[in-house]
Amino acid sequence: MFVAFSLYPIIVTAYLSFTRYDMLTPPEWYGLGNYASLMQDPLFWQSVKATVYYVFGTYVPTWFLALAIALALNREFRLKGFFRALYFTPVVMSMVVVAVIWKLMYHPFGLINNLFSFAITQPIGWLTDQRLAPLALVIMSIWKSTGYFMVIFLAGLQGIPTDYYEAARIDGASGWQQFCYITLPLLKPVTTFVVIMSLLMGLQEFTAQYVMTGGGPVGATRVLALLVYETAFNFLKMGRATAISMILFFVLLAITWVQLRVLGDREEAQA
Amino acid sequence: MSILTGRQREKATAALVYALLTFGAVIVVLPFLYALVTSFKSQYEALQIPMRWLPSEWHFENYTEPFRRKPLVRYFLNSTIVATCVTLLNLLTCGWAGYSFAKFRYKGQSALFLFVLATLMVPIQVIVVPLFTLVQNLGWLNTYWGLIIPAGTSAFGVFLMRQYIMGIPTDFIEAARIDGCGELRIFFNVIVPMAKPAFSALAIFIFMNNWNSFLWPLLVVQHETMMTLPLGLASFESNYSTNYGQLMAVSLMSAAPVLLVFAILQRQFIQGMALSGLKQ
Repeated sequence: MFVAFSLYPIIVTAYLSFTRYDMLTPPEWYGLGNYASLMQDPLFWQSVKATVYYVFGTYVPTWFLALAIALALNREFRLKGFFRALYFTPVVMSMVVVAVIWKLMYHPFGLINNLFSFAITQPIGWLTDQRLAPLALVIMSIWKSTGYFMVIFLAGLQGIPTDYYEAARIDGASGWQQFCYITLPLLKPVTTFVVIMSLLMGLQEFTAQYVMTGGGPVGATRVLALLVYETAFNFLKMGRATAISMILFFVLLAITWVQLRVLGDREEAQA
Repeated sequence: MSILTGRQREKATAALVYALLTFGAVIVVLPFLYALVTSFKSQYEALQIPMRWLPSEWHFENYTEPFRRKPLVRYFLNSTIVATCVTLLNLLTCGWAGYSFAKFRYKGQSALFLFVLATLMVPIQVIVVPLFTLVQNLGWLNTYWGLIIPAGTSAFGVFLMRQYIMGIPTDFIEAARIDGCGELRIFFNVIVPMAKPAFSALAIFIFMNNWNSFLWPLLVVQHETMMTLPLGLASFESNYSTNYGQLMAVSLMSAAPVLLVFAILQRQFIQGMALSGLKQ
């Protein structure tokens, strides 16, 4: 079953990306045609840009925020469990629910404009403005995903023996020094996981864009995942869609490889 | 030199941390609160500048009216059936596969395991076209089969189970074998009880993901009667997008089961998630 539903499709995807295929007639060999025409397609490049903006815009702040919250929660105090559970709540919600609620919040007469009504003269169309819509999606996604990475970081932090900190304190290390020389190095495997996981999640995300903007306005939020969906199931260009997904796949592989290499080297250097 | 003594400084830091955490908590809660108050408002009152936090009159019918417009109960049943079956299937397949990777040696095993790891990194978009064609050819569009079977195993689950089962001493398995246990009995009577934390983590993870999954059901289901909750909500949204009060009511109702389960099993949820990160 694993082979049928995971392995087989990958191989077929690789094959289909070299064909023209509309699902009605059998695939027709097209060589590198799909890739060549994608490279010249401004829509594709716009989508690449939208994806890069979305993924890094969302996850770079998320990493820092999640680590900061994890550090704040990594001590014994009352309400610790409460905060942890609360921050985690957005994670368990379905993206569709979150997207529907945030769509209303971003409405020109919704919550966000109300909160900032002292500063603005005219209602802002967060999701209808080409420059603001990508940002609006990023903010929503940070809200949604920080809790997950916070929990991962927190688990990592709790795995660090407290003796290390005590020893450092006796040696006169400041809080910042402890963080730089104990916490960060020991957290490295967790950080690797967080980075790879978030890129994987970010590149796959399409529900938010699908529900909130439909990729608009003027394609400003049409990320690659959404482009694959539209190309395949709205325009029935399966070959072209699979070519995009192969590119997505190789980018992801490359990032993972670089990440593992860099971290591997550093660990060797330390040893 | 700081004018504060060490103790005062510690207190000040704690207060600051508390303040920041509370501020963050407000941001987390705000959207829920907004959805909740809006769900009781009339269509006209829902969107206003300046807004009223509380509705001037409470429209409780926002919670009943949607049931007449869309088969919400059916969506809920579909989601429950699909997520439950998918979770059970995953426990079986990932458990078995994880066990076999952890405790058996056979030809091509490491190559096979490498493949499993590789597919862990594959976004669903990469496989969605062939998968869709496959399911279509099987005649599984708009069926529970189409929703359940392709989601019936996960590379992540296999990996998680393997890592955990590797930590179980092989002596137990051999002792059971000497006592004349069949492989199936060993799995259910030895492995399952000993790997319980991993199984429950996996169950929570898979159930939640499946309950919330959107892309795959969107492709497989076209008929209203087969829709799962996220699909149903999206379809309600696209049909009645200006019925804000009802829309928020439906959103909250479809989120309620997960939130409820989370409230009860909060510790297990968070530990399960943490486990998923650390075993990498």
